[in-house]
Formats: sequence, C-alpha cells, structure tokens
Amino acid sequence: MNWTHFIYFAVPSVLLWAWGAFSAWRGRRWQALAATSAGLLVFFAFIVSMWVSLERPPLRTMGETRLWYSFFLPLAGLVIYGRWRYKWILTFSTLLALVFICVNLFKPEIHSKTLMPALQSPWFAPHVIVYMFAYALLGAAAVMAAYLLFFKKRGVAAEEYAICDNLVYVGLAFMTVGMLFGALWAKEAWGHYWSWDPKETWAATTWLAYLVYIHYRQMPVHRPRTALVILLVAFVLLQVCWWGINYLPSAQASSVHTYNMG
Amino acid sequence: MWAKSWTLKEGFLVGGGLIIAGLMLELSVGPVRWDAFVWPVGGLAMAFFVVLLVVVHMLRRRVYAIRFLSTYAAAVPALTYAVVLTMVMGLTRQTVNGTWVNNMLTFWPFVLIYIYMTVIVGLVVLRRLSHWRGWRRDVPFLLNHVGLFVALVCATVGNADMRRLKMITSVNSPEWRAFDTRQQMVALPVAIELKRFIMEEYDDGSPRRFASEIDVFTRSGKHVHATVDVNKPVKVDGWKIYQYGYDTAMGRMSQISIFELVRDPWLPAVYIGIWMMLLGAVSMFILAQRKP
Repeated sequence: MNWTHFIYFAVPSVLLWAWGAFSAWRGRRWQALAATSAGLLVFFAFIVSMWVSLERPPLRTMGETRLWYSFFLPLAGLVIYGRWRYKWILTFSTLLALVFICVNLFKPEIHSKTLMPALQSPWFAPHVIVYMFAYALLGAAAVMAAYLLFFKKRGVAAEEYAICDNLVYVGLAFMTVGMLFGALWAKEAWGHYWSWDPKETWAATTWLAYLVYIHYRQMPVHRPRTALVILLVAFVLLQVCWWGINYLPSAQASSVHTYNMG
Repeated sequence: MWAKSWTLKEGFLVGGGLIIAGLMLELSVGPVRWDAFVWPVGGLAMAFFVVLLVVVHMLRRRVYAIRFLSTYAAAVPALTYAVVLTMVMGLTRQTVNGTWVNNMLTFWPFVLIYIYMTVIVGLVVLRRLSHWRGWRRDVPFLLNHVGLFVALVCATVGNADMRRLKMITSVNSPEWRAFDTRQQMVALPVAIELKRFIMEEYDDGSPRRFASEIDVFTRSGKHVHATVDVNKPVKVDGWKIYQYGYDTAMGRMSQISIFELVRDPWLPAVYIGIWMMLLGAVSMFILAQRKP
C-alpha cells in the first residue's frame, strides 16, 4: 500500500461523505450518520494499511498529517451533527476534507520509511492525533466565525455564536491534551517537559489566544463580533504553529520540530 | 476612566503599566536573575507568594482593585498581553546570551505579565473556593486553574534547581565529570562506564536506533547495568540519564557516547499540575458544554 492507491480510497470516502451531507440537509438523520461513518471506515482503512506498510505511524510528514486532518474533519462533523444536529456541518467538513485530500493527491510529499529515533515513542501517535482532531474542530470554529462575520452580518442569533463556543471548548480541550502529552513526551525524549522550542512557544501563543476568546465570551458585557475576530486571529496563530513555523527565520535550525519538512 | 466598575480599558492600562514598569526594571537592574531561586530561596519565595495571595484575597472586600483582579476585565487583557509577548518570543531568535526580546524568559515585561496572569489565576481560584457553586461547574474550573497555577509556579521556581549536564564517555573508561549549560566542568556523584555503543541503520543509512549499554556507579554505592535508548532514559538516584549523541563522523563505529544527565527535584509538583490540567481538559469536554 502506498500513495498511488490513495485515490481508490479517497474517492469512495468523499462520495459517502457527500451522500451523508446531502442526507443531513434532507433531514434523514440516520442515513447521514451511517453514510458519513461508512466513508470514515473506508478512509481509515487506507490510514491503517499505510501504517502497516510504512512500519510506523503515518504521522511524520506534512502529507501524512494532512491525511489525519482529512479523516478527523468528517469525524468531528459526525460528532457535532450527532450531538447538536447542525445540518450544515457535514457539508462543511466534507468540503474541507476534500480540499486536503486534493492537496495530498496532487502534492503527496512521498517520503521514505525512516523514522528517526526521537520519534519512536508510544507518545508519538496520541500527541499528533489529538492535536489534529483539535485543529479540525478549531478549523470548523474559524469557518463558522468567518461565515457569521462576513456573510451573515445581520440578525445573528445567540445560538449561532454558541456554536463557535462549543466548537472552541471541545477543540481547546483536545489541544490542551495534545500539548500536555507533548510535555510528558518531551520529558522522556529531551530531558525537559518544556524547553521553549519555537514550536512550543507558538503552541503556547495559540493556546493563550483561544483562552482570550473563551474568557472574553464569558464577560457579561461584550461584543460578540469582536469575539469572532479574536477567533479568526487565534486560528491564524494556529496556522503559524502548525506549518508557518517552517518558514520563520527565528525557528530555522533552532527548532527540534523541523523533521516534518522531511 | 477609573470610575467603578473597571472595564477592559482599565484592564489594558494595568497590563500596559506593568510592561512599562518591566522596561524600567530592565533598564535599571538588568535582566531577571532566575538562578537566585536556588533552594531554599525558591521554596520560600513560593510559600511567600501563596501566603501573599491569601492575604490579598482576604482584603478583597476593602479594596476594589483586588476585586477587580478576579474579573474577566482583568483576565482578558492579561491573556492578550501574554499572547503578544509570547508571539514576539516566537518571532525573534532566542539565545542564552541574548538581551531584551532575544532572551524573553529573562525580559522583565514578559516575566511581569506572566506573574500578573498567575496572580489573577490564584485569586480567581481563592474566590471560587470561597463561593462554591456546585461540583459540575467548579470542579472543571478548579482543575484547569489550579493545575495551571501549580504547573506554572513550580516550573518557574523549580527551574533554578534543575541540573542539565552533558557527559562524554568513551568505551570502558568510567566518567564522572560533565559539562553544565555554561560549559563549566562539574564532578558528579554518579559515574558512567560505556560498555558498548549500539547503532542500527535504515537502508538509506539514516539512524534507526542508537543506544548505549552502560554501567552506572553511584557514590551511595549502587551499581546498575542498563541500556539507554533515545526516548528511554534510565533513572538512578534522582538523576535521569538520556542518550544524547555520539561521534557522528564515525557513525556506527563511534567509540564515544554522549549522555545528558538531568535532575529536577520539582518535577513531581509540576506533574501534579499537568495531570490536573489533563483531567480539567477531559472534564471540560464532558461536563462544561454550553448547549445553545
């Protein structure tokens, strides 16, 4: 199994997810849940077979983390749809997953099997997987914020702002777990749980930025639209933390997290 | 302005004042000297800090400014300043010998804003403890905030007591001298004798595994035989021994192995904070959902 087989899993998955999204608009709840789950199973089958054939978890390169991201977006969509029944969420998660799948189809960044000793740890998979799930949820929150801020300018209901809150709460919970798993792992790998490596510094920046959003939203008197702007700024910081850091002069040659440039 | 009750504007002014005060301190006394916190000073400073917070908390009914510190109007600006300063840290190159923003951890404005944030966290915890609102609301809150407080305070104070040393060993010769972060040689109560350096490679020649078989002798009389792998440190007498490096020019034929020896007596306290935050994140996910 390798990247050339990806398309045979990706196309059926996207079709199943699209069917699920369509069913959600039609109010066929169980059909939506079933189709999305089936798509997830097909996609996960590819991840597992990559894992087996690479003889390591496919989590090292940017292409491989995109794989997980396109898996977690529909999964996050499924959880949110199951819990709050937002009709639009499956359409959104399918479209965004499609974007990442297309990037991987046209620019797969195929890499060798090698996994450097520093990454051979039981912490590796949970650390990255939890983070990818957090990124998917916070991505959903950012899209919702952009929609409310730029497209639906008038008559936004309190419930719609609450959607952003819920996504951020769950996303931040996962981000916190990912960050602290990273700290516990760092102690075993590098001797210290927090070394202010550029990646860690940006992780802290992003984490604090989402705390600004949460605390601002708790204020008895505040402007919800300002909160949406904070949410978008936080998502920009998250992008710097995820991949932007690879292009930052301050992080060049000083970060131990640069292996995903592969 | 400054009419009660204070809002975000006053919150941002207080934080801005701290940054200006920090700049003045940086100019007058120079960077923050964290090494002053070596035990027992660090422990005393921490105890003093906690007692001070409790005393300040008890004065809250008399002093409005104290009540203000446990409001969102104080927390949001403090967090915002922390975001900006941490972002500056991420955008600038950090070095041990750097000054001002190039050594952010010793830069007074950064330190004061983080202390300010910690004070706010401490005071809201005390306030929540004296106005209990029920398990479902307060337990996730306390796990998150107490966890962050414990982790931040213990990690910061404990940093001065942490020792990180590099030891270069050659096959079959016991070594007890190591170099600290300032390249000063230090004699240790632990000696390491390298028995064998192990290196496995992938087909393309990149390292798959490097490890060292070692004998460890301690001044307390222990003798331990162990294998140190990357990601698998060995613990002896409060020291953790990490596989750090080898003679990369020799590769698998390397006759030396480099270890990092770490001692961090505050680690258990920091881990209590980290595990509280982990539980807090889980309980936030399960309990603290706000349904629309």
